[in-house]
Amino acid sequence: MFARLLLFVAAIALGTSPLLAAEANKTATQNALPKVTTPPSLATRIDQQLATELDWAKVKDQLAPRTSDEVFLRRVYLDLVGELPSPSELTLFAFDPAADKRTKIVEKLLNDVRYGRNWARYWRDVIMYRRTEDRALLVAAPLEEYLTQQFNTNVGWDRIAQTFVEATGNVQEHGETAVIVAQMAEPVDVASEMSRIFLGVQIQCAQCHDHPTDRWKRQQFHEFAAFFPRISARPVLINGQPRGIEIASADFGARRPGMMGRRDPEHYMPDLKDPSAKGTMVAPVFFATGRKLTTGKSDSERRDSLAEWLTARENTWFARAFVNRVWAELIGEGFYEPIDDLGPDRKPTAPQTMELLAREFVDHKHDVKWLYRTIMATETYQREARPRRLEHQPAFVANCAQRLRADQILDVLQGALGVELASIGGTAPPIGPLGRLGARFFFGQTFGYDPSVRRDEVTNTIPQALMLMNGGMLNDAIKARSPVTQLGRLVNQTPDDEELVVELYLRTLGREPNERELSASLTHVRQTKDRAEAYEDLLWALLNRTEFVYRN
Amino acid sequence: MSLQYRSQLTVNRDGVVGRRDFLKLVGATGSAGLSLTDHVSLHAAELRKQGMACILLWMGGGPSQLDTFDPKPGHANGGDVKAIATRTTGVQWSANLPQLAEQSDKLAVFRSLTTKEGNHQRASYLLHTSYVPSSSVNYPTLGSAVAHAIRNPTSELPAFVRIGRTQNSGNGGFLGTEFDAFQMNSATRMPDNVRPTTDEHRYQRRLGLLGKLEDSSGPEIAAGQIADHRKLYEQASRMVLSPSMQAFDVSREADKVRDAYGRGEFGTGCLVARRLIETGVTFVEVSLGNWDTHDNNGQRCADLCGQLDRPFAYLLEDLSQRGLLDRTLVVWMGEFGRTPRLNPRGGRDHYPRAFSAALAGAGVRGGQVIGTTSANGEDVDDTPVTEKDFLQTIYKGLKIDAGRENMSPIGRPIKLVDGGEPVAAAFA
Repeated sequence: MFARLLLFVAAIALGTSPLLAAEANKTATQNALPKVTTPPSLATRIDQQLATELDWAKVKDQLAPRTSDEVFLRRVYLDLVGELPSPSELTLFAFDPAADKRTKIVEKLLNDVRYGRNWARYWRDVIMYRRTEDRALLVAAPLEEYLTQQFNTNVGWDRIAQTFVEATGNVQEHGETAVIVAQMAEPVDVASEMSRIFLGVQIQCAQCHDHPTDRWKRQQFHEFAAFFPRISARPVLINGQPRGIEIASADFGARRPGMMGRRDPEHYMPDLKDPSAKGTMVAPVFFATGRKLTTGKSDSERRDSLAEWLTARENTWFARAFVNRVWAELIGEGFYEPIDDLGPDRKPTAPQTMELLAREFVDHKHDVKWLYRTIMATETYQREARPRRLEHQPAFVANCAQRLRADQILDVLQGALGVELASIGGTAPPIGPLGRLGARFFFGQTFGYDPSVRRDEVTNTIPQALMLMNGGMLNDAIKARSPVTQLGRLVNQTPDDEELVVELYLRTLGREPNERELSASLTHVRQTKDRAEAYEDLLWALLNRTEFVYRN
Repeated sequence: MSLQYRSQLTVNRDGVVGRRDFLKLVGATGSAGLSLTDHVSLHAAELRKQGMACILLWMGGGPSQLDTFDPKPGHANGGDVKAIATRTTGVQWSANLPQLAEQSDKLAVFRSLTTKEGNHQRASYLLHTSYVPSSSVNYPTLGSAVAHAIRNPTSELPAFVRIGRTQNSGNGGFLGTEFDAFQMNSATRMPDNVRPTTDEHRYQRRLGLLGKLEDSSGPEIAAGQIADHRKLYEQASRMVLSPSMQAFDVSREADKVRDAYGRGEFGTGCLVARRLIETGVTFVEVSLGNWDTHDNNGQRCADLCGQLDRPFAYLLEDLSQRGLLDRTLVVWMGEFGRTPRLNPRGGRDHYPRAFSAALAGAGVRGGQVIGTTSANGEDVDDTPVTEKDFLQTIYKGLKIDAGRENMSPIGRPIKLVDGGEPVAAAFA
């Protein structure tokens, strides 16, 4: 029954929807599919390695089955481009008889411009959620643009990381200054974040004292911070007024806003017994490999050297950190958790699998798309989703359902309603510098979370429920008696209730209703005197369902 | 962690146990034979008795101590501001605050605050958390930490409300988004999205349909997730439909009272704060900004004090008349003070070394001044009070153990305030 409905609905949609026309354009601008370069054998090796390492032979009955095509398609769309497949894309995929259609769709989406955008937003959050000052938000939009470009042209992760370490310039023109400006160029904070983001090592715990169980000592943290004492985050003056921030080398000592004098051009490790004393001068040493410089070196020499050493093959943490993070985002659980707390004293799940993947990632020149392609080709990725396992339950036997990020929710909403929601919560962004961040930022204020936090630790909040239930613009966009809303058009053009119910499911949840859902929905339509009102209720209910904000 | 645990936690939640704490608790109590439920209800009972609340009047930009609570009329640094007598014998403060002077018996004024942060962003964070901003730990702001510790589990309203948008005031941090401030963009309007867009009958019909569809879910989403989501929606709908929501609606207040508070944004904010505390909200933050008076300090401070004086004074009187002051701590502070020496533009720049703040209610002994500054206002002469000491004092007033530890996401225990001592004289 559903197949027939799907075809029918797709035909309507193809003929009428302006949304679909836009989608068709998006696809048309893309080049022909590049050659598929994933050695399927590697994905298979990963699955085999996991099976051996985690002794799956003993828990065979607990392995989740492969997902349906429908669930798979929604999952890869959300994971790669951050939106739902359109009803027609769903139909085409469902009816594609090709055996390698899952590989092909992953390839297609990796070449969709929305892929770069989606992951740029992810990393924007990784960096900006740890900002020490809101002024740093100036870099949020340029950062998103910069990373979109990098990911879409598939610049190697090593090169991307280097640009963040070496960055200088006006933060509104140079998104790669983000890690530095988010910490306002404070050496110890920049050091902590460079290490956390690019190595997954939280060496800053050693800032104040030697941690009893950690290998790296306080001295080593400060030696690492000694790569960054000569960076300044200084105001960009226009007509004498501060109008922005610039990251610059300050080889004679950086000025600090609100502070007297200049920072010393060398880094000093504070004396714990006498915190007001200047401390001991330390020379830059990279804790992970021991590479070092003498004091007196210029800012660019320090940062250029570090950029090279950080991403060098001998520093194994660099690849591990990235592989671990991407794996965790796609599978729902990292080898290491939290995903940014690796290090020699942490114990990962399935270390050999992780090492295999990290090694191959380096051999493939830190090719980011290669990594997505490989992980998404594994059986482990393609299993049905389950809630987060308990500590004693076997790892990686299922994919893990995850709360969507704010950007994904906003894009799914806009797609489902066929509108750009300029101000979804009914409040216009405030006047002033933050106002320029736009509606998406303020949507993120309500729905966002720090993506480095374990996903099952993210709680949904009352303001989120209030926005989805009562948001003014949202409710305007679901009016059915309007010629301008998508629902208005669908209600007019679709006399058959069954077809319309299915269409709304496809647009909001990316799947068809099951029998019970269909029947409950149709009952509601029949019992409600006013057909337009009935569909407003239905669309409202679908947007407020649990599934709407989850990727399973 | 399993969803079942989370659901159970939601049921039992009294704001004491975060999810990380919960794990820790289970670990800690498992051997002692005390169940989580025992533990939680134990805490809950103890906390409900207290019913403490806090109103933070946040003076964004850094208010001039010389133009508010620590005038220096005889000195060149004093500027034009005059000192007036207050209701407390021997205590004078700026003539900019005449109505507040009538309430001086309720206020403990601190003239000896001292910190090392002269940058707005870092200092705002510091005074809201007692920590300097750090990339490694996202510290919860005062309101979130207090809500987490002593929120009223039976209240249908959010535990922590912030009136007006502020920058660098922080949020739930590692305690989680559920402890973020519930934002009210303007005191004169209801918060966003709290009014259903349909009549109640239809709203209920929609909720009914939502429930039916959720019940019909297939295996796509786990039952535990749906149960959590449903609880959230029940809570949100209960809040929307609750008569308590009227507390946000200042138009329900008599004209006489509205006039007594003043009709400006800050005055209205203070009135809403009182209404919310009365209705069971634990922490309300109300801001009065623009204290960054780098030029024309005298006139600008007089204007700002004009917006501050009446609302602050009437808030104290009103809380007192309603018997709320004993259990409500009122905190007046900004991120730092201003340079005692006037700059060439008649302005005052940032000065964290010696500045003022004030407390009232919750057992604070009013009618006293704590600490003094030198004749030129540049140094603290006695009883230096650091940000840690001051936040310790706030927690003490709220009967919260400032040494209480919460777990950061990487499993590091973080004290509410690490170091410092509460200022005992405040309560004596």
